[in-house]
Amino acid sequence: MNPTFGDFLTPAGEHITAAVAFRGELPAGAREDAIAELGRVVSALARYLGDLPPPHDPGPGGTFPPTFRERAAADARVALRRAARTLRHRATSTQDAHPVVRHLSAAADYLSAGRDLLHTHFTTGGQPGTGPENSYWAPAITSAPVTSALLSELAHHARVLVPWAAQLTMTAPGLCALAADRLILHQAISGLWITAAAIQAAEHDNPTPPRARHLLAAIPAAAPPPRQPPGTGEPVTGLCHGITITADRLRHAARAPTQPGRWSPAATSASWRRAALACAITSHASEIVLHTLTDRARHLGIEPAITERLRGAAAAMSQTWPWWRAVACEWDILSTGTHHGTSSTPAAADFEDLALRTGRLAHASPDWTPGYAGSSIRGRAVLAPARGDVSTVVAAIHHAADAITRIAIQHQQAVSTAAGERRLYLPTRLMPATCDIPYPYTLAPRKRTSKLLATYAAAIGASARATEVLDELAAAIGAPSTILGVHRSIASQQASTRRREGTDIAQTQPRPVPPPAAPGQAAQIEHLLHSLQITEPALLLRAAALDQATHELLAEATAKSRKQGSAAAPLPQRSQKAPNWPARAAGKDLPRHISGRDGQVTHTDQKAAPTAVTASKNSIR
Amino acid sequence: MSPSGCIRTVNHLQDTEEISARLRDAASLPDLLAASFDAFEIARMLARAGDLRLPELFAAFMTTADAAVDGREAVTAAPALPAGSTTACALTPSAAGTEEITAALAALGTLLSDRLAYAVTLTAEPADRDACAAAADAASRIHHLMTP
Repeated sequence: MNPTFGDFLTPAGEHITAAVAFRGELPAGAREDAIAELGRVVSALARYLGDLPPPHDPGPGGTFPPTFRERAAADARVALRRAARTLRHRATSTQDAHPVVRHLSAAADYLSAGRDLLHTHFTTGGQPGTGPENSYWAPAITSAPVTSALLSELAHHARVLVPWAAQLTMTAPGLCALAADRLILHQAISGLWITAAAIQAAEHDNPTPPRARHLLAAIPAAAPPPRQPPGTGEPVTGLCHGITITADRLRHAARAPTQPGRWSPAATSASWRRAALACAITSHASEIVLHTLTDRARHLGIEPAITERLRGAAAAMSQTWPWWRAVACEWDILSTGTHHGTSSTPAAADFEDLALRTGRLAHASPDWTPGYAGSSIRGRAVLAPARGDVSTVVAAIHHAADAITRIAIQHQQAVSTAAGERRLYLPTRLMPATCDIPYPYTLAPRKRTSKLLATYAAAIGASARATEVLDELAAAIGAPSTILGVHRSIASQQASTRRREGTDIAQTQPRPVPPPAAPGQAAQIEHLLHSLQITEPALLLRAAALDQATHELLAEATAKSRKQGSAAAPLPQRSQKAPNWPARAAGKDLPRHISGRDGQVTHTDQKAAPTAVTASKNSIR
Repeated sequence: MSPSGCIRTVNHLQDTEEISARLRDAASLPDLLAASFDAFEIARMLARAGDLRLPELFAAFMTTADAAVDGREAVTAAPALPAGSTTACALTPSAAGTEEITAALAALGTLLSDRLAYAVTLTAEPADRDACAAAADAASRIHHLMTP
């Protein structure tokens, strides 16, 4: 797994504690080196504080004055910066150095490395809280609770160092000769003391929630862990570990640009179809696993409340895979056209790994693959031999659900972009025989793409709900994945704060998008439904149909109006030439609406649509 | 609903037998590609008809449907595919058993794979060869997925 911030923060604290534990008098050389290393520690602390955004301008209305903690951080930043400037911070040779010097040196190294880790979540040159974000962790890192936890840790280090540095001023062998050193140390002590006191006061006023401390320590480096292809005969713990790694890789993939190159392998129907397939299989297997765990929990005599939560999680998961199946069915018909030489993406391999490992967790055969020769369901005692194994398996399922929800939002946005750019087609051979189209594909009608996006919205909604249920379950049983729920809660809180303050710098973050509607006024009903948090496809499709009718009415009225005005003035010419995409070029001479016998686009699959969507088959078949 | 608007209850086995005969009888590359397109479409619909039958086979049928779409898309990319409309009809829920469906799909996968591998030898056009090879690969996957 990736290193986490805690891997650096904890040893830094341990080394500082070990250094200040030395009570004797330092030899002259060691004393000088210790002061230099103290300078490095103070500089590292000052750099952390320097990364924090300055207290924001309350603005003309003065609505958001700096908080007590922000003022404390600003005071500490100034004090530590001064202290760091006065100390001669240089790296010393630590091989034969005094233990105190070695410990301080190590602490400075760990603190610097930890700060580097935090910076990996922001693009080069960007500072936490002010620059472009590079990972799904970034909003949580810059959130108030995590910032508060970080300040608290820094203040703790400062507080520990103050008495030791004070002692150092009193134990110099030749006090007169070292007056300059003493002055420097006094300034350092002053900076450290101000830091500790200011932040401690803020902490007293508004204590850091313990979950924020856990989240701070759990921040990983913003790099996907290396892929671990599934092996043969992996035990349950190995499968769970593999699922966690794959889920993390997919979460990183979800941060990829949402508008990749038009013919990128990641932006094709094959890629999205394969992802939907993997989401369906993973969610289906997850439901099986959760049912098995429910049985096992009862058998192990685990508290009924936990068993009930497991049952609830299984029920929530049972609502997800039918929607992912429905998305896959939509992709049965829709296509982005022919793409030569496109290879599969890294995310495609991760999706396969996720589906395969979750399937193996659910089934008895250790080498299960999605084929007819599949095996029976895994026995409950094999899945979770002991009580602790229940939380390990829940954590893996939790990670999978979380990753699916995150990456699905990105896919939905990319598909929405493709639909908006009219890059979704239907194979013309699936059209009625009366449609004489001499090209392999024809533009997909808007109703079809709206239905696809509505189905995505429903699938994402169902997955998000299941993930929230798993957040609560993980917290209740103390599963290792508990941090996912904490992260979601804090990141969501941060996003709300940014929206409220109008300082959202995470504009590049994928968010669920509603299915497209006709532009302008014609999209009002569908948007209204989305604003009411309605995700039921049947309702959304009815809204889309109404919007479409409005759009057509407006288009007709506009055309009439233009026709009337054309005698007076010519219509403006399109200044920008549309890209010459092959399938679009193929379709540009074709009628816009390909109609079947009853005026609707037809295809040969009735089973493809989910139950709720087929309910409105009068408008979309 | 079929392309011409018909709804009919089809016998899956009869449908696959008909398309199998077309695949075997196709004398030219365009005929074979047109038959392959329809065969993949039938395979997709059959797989969709089976994916909710047994939880243990959900993944198998889902993946088979995906492979069928891969095959159909590959055939669509072949320049030699003639213009026209598919003859595959929408299927109503079938009374056929799961084993019958899987056997039919496995057999169809084998036949498609063999015929498309043969089709590669019928043309020198690289795009047709690539399309046939990719479709043959997808058909082979259908066979493997549906073979116990």
